[in-house]
Amino acid sequence: MRLRWNVIIGSLTIIPGLLFGGVATGYLLGGLADKHLFVGAHHLVNVVLLLLVFVMVIATALTLAERKWSAMMQNRIGPNRARLPFLENSALSGVPHVITDVLKLLTKEAFIPKDASKLLFNLAPMLAFAPVFALFAIVPAGPTVNVFGFDIEMVAANPDFGLLYLFGIASLAVYGTSLAGWSSNNKFALLGGVRASSQMISYEVALGLGLVGMMIAFSTVQLGGPAGMSDLQSHYLPGWSTYLGPIDVGVPQWGFLLQPAGFILFFAAAFAETKRAPFDVPEGESEIIGYFVEYSGMQFGLFMIAEFVEVVVLSGVLIAIFFGGPYLPFGNLWLKSLFGPDWQWLYGSILGTVFWLKVVLLCYLQLAIRWTFPRFRYDQIQTLGWKILLPIGLANVFISGALILWDPSLKALAIAGGIEILVLVALTLTPTPAKSRADAHIGHHGPVDEHGHGADHALPAGHH
Amino acid sequence: MDHAHDHHDEASKPTDVRERLFLPELLHGLAISTRKFLRNLFGERDPNPQVVDRTGLSLVTTVQYPDEKPIYPPGYRGLHRLVPREDGKPRCVACYMCATICPAQCIYIEAGEYSDDDHATESRVIEKYPTQFVIDELRCVVCGLCVDACPKDAIRMDTYKHTPAEYTRQGFVYDIPRLLRGPPVTHPSDPWYKRGSSEEPDHVHKEAHTRIGEGLVPLKLPGGHRVEVDTSNPVAVTKFIK
Repeated sequence: MRLRWNVIIGSLTIIPGLLFGGVATGYLLGGLADKHLFVGAHHLVNVVLLLLVFVMVIATALTLAERKWSAMMQNRIGPNRARLPFLENSALSGVPHVITDVLKLLTKEAFIPKDASKLLFNLAPMLAFAPVFALFAIVPAGPTVNVFGFDIEMVAANPDFGLLYLFGIASLAVYGTSLAGWSSNNKFALLGGVRASSQMISYEVALGLGLVGMMIAFSTVQLGGPAGMSDLQSHYLPGWSTYLGPIDVGVPQWGFLLQPAGFILFFAAAFAETKRAPFDVPEGESEIIGYFVEYSGMQFGLFMIAEFVEVVVLSGVLIAIFFGGPYLPFGNLWLKSLFGPDWQWLYGSILGTVFWLKVVLLCYLQLAIRWTFPRFRYDQIQTLGWKILLPIGLANVFISGALILWDPSLKALAIAGGIEILVLVALTLTPTPAKSRADAHIGHHGPVDEHGHGADHALPAGHH
Repeated sequence: MDHAHDHHDEASKPTDVRERLFLPELLHGLAISTRKFLRNLFGERDPNPQVVDRTGLSLVTTVQYPDEKPIYPPGYRGLHRLVPREDGKPRCVACYMCATICPAQCIYIEAGEYSDDDHATESRVIEKYPTQFVIDELRCVVCGLCVDACPKDAIRMDTYKHTPAEYTRQGFVYDIPRLLRGPPVTHPSDPWYKRGSSEEPDHVHKEAHTRIGEGLVPLKLPGGHRVEVDTSNPVAVTKFIK
């Protein structure tokens, strides 16, 4: 069995290596900034590093990954024709295509259609891009550690109203798409914009309800800092931890374990907010082409990159709230004790790398979802938002609230969450009894033609 | 069986809880995508152009065309070639059979006659040869009738290549230097084999003409009126610009 060892070794070393280097640079630069400028200057470093470097670079890489990974999932090769001048013999996994894409978008004419509202037309891409980008400001991408005598937070801003900021800013993004649709003076673009806003309305409720359980559980809406959701998840459930030699193990109070239903709700709703397949009705390639149909050049590029930035930001938010932030599921105390007081930035860098690796994994999950599931019809999206996610969200809030009231140590909540996960896993691993249904059918009615049988399976789930 | 009844019965059956929950089925789908992703990302791709013979972890079935060319099946009708004799001249005797049978009329031949001075060579047993042999590959419908019609096995389509792309239409007009290629062919029945010692050509016959442009057949046009082709002057055969 021949394996591509260069790809395996490359992806196992280059990606974590680059991430580690970036995070370590962030901690050290932050420490230097605090030392030589003023206390709190490391937040400025974080703005540049986390938002402009990490999020933008990963989002840009995702434009290529979208095509390359989808090719891998569909047994194709993917883009490999663009070459660098001195490396004509190597496709470099398609990386030069990023350069060609950027060049193309930057050099194309930014065309404004006749009778379009010029101000709003130019404003819309910025309005679509900026809020998504700003969303990442509150996501902590690493633990708070002491560097050069200063406490360095790996977050651009840490307001105590963290999640409320998230909801507010996330809703702003739809102004860009609606304005783009309206100001283009194009019926199809307008239709796309209207669809985007109605989709946002039907998912905003589920988006909020999905997080309410976590807010109750941790009694906070803050993300970063020692009392924030991210750091609280590094703790074990009280009494459910022990030591294996020097390593601490236990059941961490990760949001995914406490609130699996909340996670699925928030994930589905936030996925719908990214306007990517299977929730891509605002684009609707087969029907209306989308709210950005009149945009060209880098203005279209802004809409496109905003979509990928949304993917990265959504991954970061999900990890900060549901997957333990930068922390490992066990051994965090042991890892911290490995490094002396002068080397705490190394501990922070390792956990920061863990955070970004989790982000890459969740980005993969989102891309895999986008390339696996058929898109929802418009009415199915509304049905899913209002008739399925909303009741589940309400029920989840009441059940979680009751369990937390009954047992404030969150153990009852964790047990309920564990049961939910186990049921889901059991249902996934046991085969769907489609065959027995067919057999029963034959027993009653004699031979059945395959076509009539398949038609039932092809019905979307919303119909059942 | 009554289809409407069948479907109604099927739809009224309770679906499985996995399908109604939607999530387990989605996870199955994700597992399939991820399995393929990992196999194709980490598995070595077998570059064998015969995709069905590939072994290996990668499931990619793409043949990267200009770099890897698929092998055409035996009997594939490819680009024409004029079959050379052992001495490098075309086997063609300019009999016009191929040009006559060609349904696309894409073959143009001008015949030349060997002069009596050629008696010393093997060509003395052959009367004619093509001075011009032109195929317009854009017109060709790749039917292979020219190969079947040829009495001398002088035109073949066994190159196992299809016509390559060109920048101009003129580039698709192939003349003798471009057509005369491939391994030479000799048959025991070839006249220079059988009558190697003969001083005279074995056949003396009149030059055969193609019927193209002779104007013997009245053309039928839509609209009912017949057009009589003027036969007083010879009608020029369409010539390909060379």
